[in-house]
Amino acid sequence: MSRLQTVVRAMLRWAPRRFRDRYEQEYLATLTRRAEDAVARGRLPALSLAVREVIGAAGLVLRLRSGGGRGAGQVHRMKRNGGAIMLETVRQDVRFAVTTLRRNPGFAAAAVAVLALGIGANTAIFSAANAFLFRPLPFAEPDRLVLLYETNPEFDWTVEQAVQAAPANALDWREQVEAFADVALYRDLGVDDVAIRTDADPVLVGGTTVTGNFFSVLGVQPVLGRALRWEETWADAGRVAVISHDLWVSHFGADPSVVGSRLPLAASDEEVDIVGVMPAGFAFPNDRTDLWYSYGWERSALEAVSFRRAHWVRPVARLADGVSLEEADAQLQVVVRRLQEDFPETNRVMGAGLMPVRDFLVREVKASLVVLLGAVAVLLLLACANVANLMLVRANDRTREMALRHALGAGRARVARQMLTESVLLAGLGGALGLVLGWLGVRGMSALTRLGIEGATTMSLDARVVGFTVLVAGLSGVLFGTAPAIRSTGGDVHVALTEGGRGQSTSRRGARVAGLLVSAEVALALLLVVGAGLMIRSFWLLRSVDPGFRVEGALAVEVAVPSTRYPDRDQVLAFWDRLTEALEARPGIERAGTVARLPLDGASWSSQFQAEGWPPDRVGFEILHRAADAGYFEALDIPLVRGRLFGPDDGPDDPYVVVINETFAREYFPGEDPIGQRIAYDRAATAESTWREIVGIVGDQHQESPGTPARAEVFESRNQDWDRGAWLVMKTSVEPLGVVPAVREALREMDPQIPLVDVRPLRDVWSASLTSQRFVLVLLGVFGAAALLLATVGIYGVTAQVARRRTQEIGIRMALGAGATQVLGLMLRQGLAVIGLGIAAGLGVALLATRALSSMLYGIEPTDPATLAAVVALLAGVALLACYVPARRATAVDPVTSLRAE
Amino acid sequence: MAGPTPLTYDILLALADADRHGYGIIKEIEAREGPGRAPSTGAMYLALQRMEGEGLVEDAPSRPAEDDDARRRYYRITRAGREVAERESSRLAALVAAARHKNLLRGATAGGGEA
Repeated sequence: MSRLQTVVRAMLRWAPRRFRDRYEQEYLATLTRRAEDAVARGRLPALSLAVREVIGAAGLVLRLRSGGGRGAGQVHRMKRNGGAIMLETVRQDVRFAVTTLRRNPGFAAAAVAVLALGIGANTAIFSAANAFLFRPLPFAEPDRLVLLYETNPEFDWTVEQAVQAAPANALDWREQVEAFADVALYRDLGVDDVAIRTDADPVLVGGTTVTGNFFSVLGVQPVLGRALRWEETWADAGRVAVISHDLWVSHFGADPSVVGSRLPLAASDEEVDIVGVMPAGFAFPNDRTDLWYSYGWERSALEAVSFRRAHWVRPVARLADGVSLEEADAQLQVVVRRLQEDFPETNRVMGAGLMPVRDFLVREVKASLVVLLGAVAVLLLLACANVANLMLVRANDRTREMALRHALGAGRARVARQMLTESVLLAGLGGALGLVLGWLGVRGMSALTRLGIEGATTMSLDARVVGFTVLVAGLSGVLFGTAPAIRSTGGDVHVALTEGGRGQSTSRRGARVAGLLVSAEVALALLLVVGAGLMIRSFWLLRSVDPGFRVEGALAVEVAVPSTRYPDRDQVLAFWDRLTEALEARPGIERAGTVARLPLDGASWSSQFQAEGWPPDRVGFEILHRAADAGYFEALDIPLVRGRLFGPDDGPDDPYVVVINETFAREYFPGEDPIGQRIAYDRAATAESTWREIVGIVGDQHQESPGTPARAEVFESRNQDWDRGAWLVMKTSVEPLGVVPAVREALREMDPQIPLVDVRPLRDVWSASLTSQRFVLVLLGVFGAAALLLATVGIYGVTAQVARRRTQEIGIRMALGAGATQVLGLMLRQGLAVIGLGIAAGLGVALLATRALSSMLYGIEPTDPATLAAVVALLAGVALLACYVPARRATAVDPVTSLRAE
Repeated sequence: MAGPTPLTYDILLALADADRHGYGIIKEIEAREGPGRAPSTGAMYLALQRMEGEGLVEDAPSRPAEDDDARRRYYRITRAGREVAERESSRLAALVAAARHKNLLRGATAGGGEA
């Protein structure tokens, strides 16, 4: 029931200050007691109270806002009387509307259901947009925070990519750009899985590395202990950490003595000092961040060229007081140019830019959200058109009633207002039900995005979402109520009364409006179905992309070897060899190998390189590199195209060798044999460069996503570029998750202290890379299907109505000798014209609107002719069927019966 | 002046014998007319605000000693409120008498409540 209090409290925000000051507290206290009573009585009374209370609160706000309900004596008496009369009229209208709707429950239910569908979809999507676009950020003065990125025309680094910065460059910006009060750096590649050693199994938490001034730049204070300090960026200060409120509660039982204790990290056998606990709800850069620890850089690292060459930190800057975004950018550009001159080796064309923190955080989801918001707006319009149609049909049936009311002296405006009251009432009911549907939708969406989209977990119904729903419901009430209201004021009283309620003379105009509404419905439905169709086709194409590696029957687990017990290289390499051997000895595992990073898991390290014999100014850009062993390629069925894989003779002390992918060979060695060529990963190779001989070419694997073509990639020998952490990949002859216990056992037998950091079947890696497309696809698919359904129902309803109204005419025609087929043809022709108009209009709009989808489509244009043709055919077919059925029924009636239908 | 609305009358009736807070008024109406027949909290406070403006009810100067919830305010019927309630009661009594006279009322139960 606490949800009810939240909703009512949110609604009371719209009540005037005076009312709130005096009554809000006790209002909510009373509500709480009543809610408890109702819950004690059971589910139904609780639900009924909830509905009544929401309506009651809405009524209260509306009355107070419209000037009613004020105390006597404070308002001029005449005005008050005027208000009272108006209020009384509204009351009458509402009462009458309720009675009318009750008399026709089928109509009311249909209208409310259709509206609830449209409004609910809007509520759900808006709450997603709310979570991303409008939610307050957990920083002090977030408007003063900017995120920095580097750009490079030679590497095609665009603003959209917002490439991370080289630490040395970012630290120079911090020193030299005076417009920045301070700049902090953090890791912006998702969180690391950090294993915490415990007495039982190691616990995994999300960790990120930061500079010591991270929290002071964001303006966030810990609730316990202290934040990190700038000096703690460096190794000589010792490693310190701040933990999240969640971790503090779940792992440490909210024990305040955690500050000052040491946290053992399982992977490195290191311990970090916990110095503080962040407030509840603070999670940045990622929802899953539980641990922030200092980079612990050696001060000497600043001088290393790699600190300026590799781009792997995200700078966040707080603007100095009174400095605008433009000024800050101008100053940044000055420093950028200076660095280009001072460090030509790395910075010759390296640029930089900044963007406000909110723009940065939503840059990846914005396009999807805009598309989805557009889609639900279209769906709502469609729902409104549908209900307007229902109301028109009814208005037609009520022509006589309306005429009678005119004749009895009701002004046209009064009758129109009566109709509008009905509409608003319907909209209110639809809105209330829509809120419930929206809430269910939000839960569904949260489940859908659990794997993929950051921030999705914070979607919920808050005051802003409820307010939005109320607004949307009100707007739609006016929207679909206007046509019938205007319609009710037209028409000649005398004619209507003498024509037996069928309103022949007014029906022509009514039919035209109904026809236009059907056309609009067809157009809107077409728009949504085209969007859904494009996404489905694109997704289908994406799914059929060959990722370049084994997806089914393959498992990857992440393992890290602690430096304390495996201090030197040979021990680590021996560990990997023994572990892969032990795994291959287990039943179900056919082949095992190691790789530094899984494919489709985002791009890994990239470098510039030079091949032996190239002129000094020729450089290859942005090649990716990963360390692997031969087992990696064989376990994942990655074909060896030419040459050989790594062998026992490629040890750490042997000459360095690499394997390249086909794209690399194609881009950099067209028409020549790359095998035997030597490359070095420096911008311009020098005498000290490490030269590596290309010994083999393997098939391409998509590195970033199935939709992004494979990039040039180099594989180093794992024994030559060794690391303490790696992914072990296995080819399994059984269900991949089935071998996990065997993997754990093998690992435990070797070293019980080493945890499995992560376990991922390769098919999950593959499907996770499609998450964001799937999210948009599923939602657009649902909206498209709903649109198709609404349009079908709308077309059917109107045709049935027309057929009913023309029963007599059809009877006469058939009595005069017209064949059933002729009459059927006549009716279908009229339907076809209306549908054709809708399809033409819908296509026109779709051609313009689907451009918004282009960044989400793979392999097809937003104007894909095949999709458009299929959708038009589908919609025309469904629409014609919805036309045919009632028309057919009308002509099947015996002429005698239809003539008697008076 | 027109007679009080049914809700106004309900509230005046609830306050006729004792000062009550908002929840108390609801409980009193529920006790008389059954759970589910009481007005929504919003409707009641709207009415209370109006009635305070019209001088029918006012803040009770003292509250029962056993109540320690400071958020609650107690309402008291004013002299004017009592007059309105009495006049309306007489009117209703006359109506009921007339109804009984015309055999519309078997037994002596009083129905009603807000429509």
